[in-house]
Amino acid sequence: MAQTGFREFLNDLDRAGQLKKITKPVDPRQMSALGSQSPTATLFETIEGYPEWRVATGLVSSRARLAIAMGCAENRIAFEFEKKSANPIDPVVVESAPCQEVVMQGDEVDLTSIPFPLMHLFDGGPYISGTFAVSRDAEYGSNAGSYRLMYRTPTETGIDLVSPSDMRFYYQRALDKGESLPIAIAVGVHPLDMLAASYKAPIDTSELALAGGLRGEALEMVKCKTVDLEVPAQAELVLEGELLPIGWSADEGPFGEFSQISGDVKWNPIFRVSCITRRKDPIFYMLQMPWENDWLAAPVTEAAGLQALRIASVQPVDILAPVGACGYWALVASIKKRPGEGKNAVAALLSVAEVKHVIVTDDDINIHDPDELDWAVAFRVQADKDAIIISGARAKHIDPSVKSWELGKGGLPTTAKLGIDATIPEGVPRSMYRRIKNYAKDRVRLEDFE
Amino acid sequence: MSPLAITLRDTLQNEAKQFDEMVDLHLDVPWRDFLRAWGELRADDLLKRDEAGD
Repeated sequence: MAQTGFREFLNDLDRAGQLKKITKPVDPRQMSALGSQSPTATLFETIEGYPEWRVATGLVSSRARLAIAMGCAENRIAFEFEKKSANPIDPVVVESAPCQEVVMQGDEVDLTSIPFPLMHLFDGGPYISGTFAVSRDAEYGSNAGSYRLMYRTPTETGIDLVSPSDMRFYYQRALDKGESLPIAIAVGVHPLDMLAASYKAPIDTSELALAGGLRGEALEMVKCKTVDLEVPAQAELVLEGELLPIGWSADEGPFGEFSQISGDVKWNPIFRVSCITRRKDPIFYMLQMPWENDWLAAPVTEAAGLQALRIASVQPVDILAPVGACGYWALVASIKKRPGEGKNAVAALLSVAEVKHVIVTDDDINIHDPDELDWAVAFRVQADKDAIIISGARAKHIDPSVKSWELGKGGLPTTAKLGIDATIPEGVPRSMYRRIKNYAKDRVRLEDFE
Repeated sequence: MSPLAITLRDTLQNEAKQFDEMVDLHLDVPWRDFLRAWGELRADDLLKRDEAGD
């Protein structure tokens, strides 16, 4: 029996009433706008000019659909991610794979044969937004990540490799030797594989094994045709090739970023494609920006926060990476607090790579209720004692406030981080926070008087 | 260079435009033909930006 992949997840969504199927012909220039209007995931079944293809989008642009992918309740996603990621399973290599039913090499390589969508106003070109990118370094091993690709020519794309990542590190190492970096890009993999690829794992941690852990079985990989790499066997489409040794010198972008902002042009390497493999009846995955990206980011950030809290010996009760902060830039956590642990928790959460703002509360606060959170911040915080600011931490370019345009090509920005300890201050009795409660509330019911 | 690529080139030489504005001018062209023509401009390094990307 074939391993669960992208199209099996589409079937899961369909059974859950979370997939809208559109049979009328759709132009690739319309797909993003149409998909963005659907409250469910969307499957476009007829693509003008691309008779062999279907296109799916919005697969995980809600916590409900992410929970379907994880196979758990919505409020357990981060804890489930943390539990499963603690038990990685190494991938296995299989001999043949659906993703290689059709193989195009040499002069047959033509990226215009793929329904590259034009997604947003101001984008620098059509994009492949949801990728599972594989690379390898002789010393550090295999790596998987997710990087967007901008169409340039029938054999080349731009690739956003500006932010710090393992693949950027591998590319820099190849560049130092004057060499290109072979990579392979899989499109249309299971969301659990996308989650693993999105995880900011330490460089000695395999995202491929993490994908196996999340799945509960080894991820099946198949050897590429033209580069010494393996890709997920059940993928819909694979692009094989190399990052040219030109450094960060080609314009790429703008693109509608996961920050919900239409980004700037960036200077990036070029990906030259040597081979395209795909299924006979491929389904292209158009990751819908920003929400689909942000919902994929949230559990990864939340799990990183849980891990940081546990390392700090703080007991988390709940954690949230608000999608309004794009699942990256903010973490809110409630904890079972012992004296001093509010500050420890803030420091721990601020150590999570991209997290810029943190709020920590006691476990009596429902952190999913903004009013409760405001109440905790209003009455448990003294700014001169409970706010922690860290300067000069690593940042992402797409945050306009870090002024990355002043850095030049390849420059890395820094940022300030703010943490708020909104737990009950030491020395203030918990009884001071006794909430008002209506007299007889437990004895009378409004519907009995209607 | 294809006739469409020449048209795109001439349009851009006359006035700088965003990609989506170029697409808007040729909505009657099949998407794949537009991509091929755009690729010709890229291959000939005819698409320019300044250091700020404008």
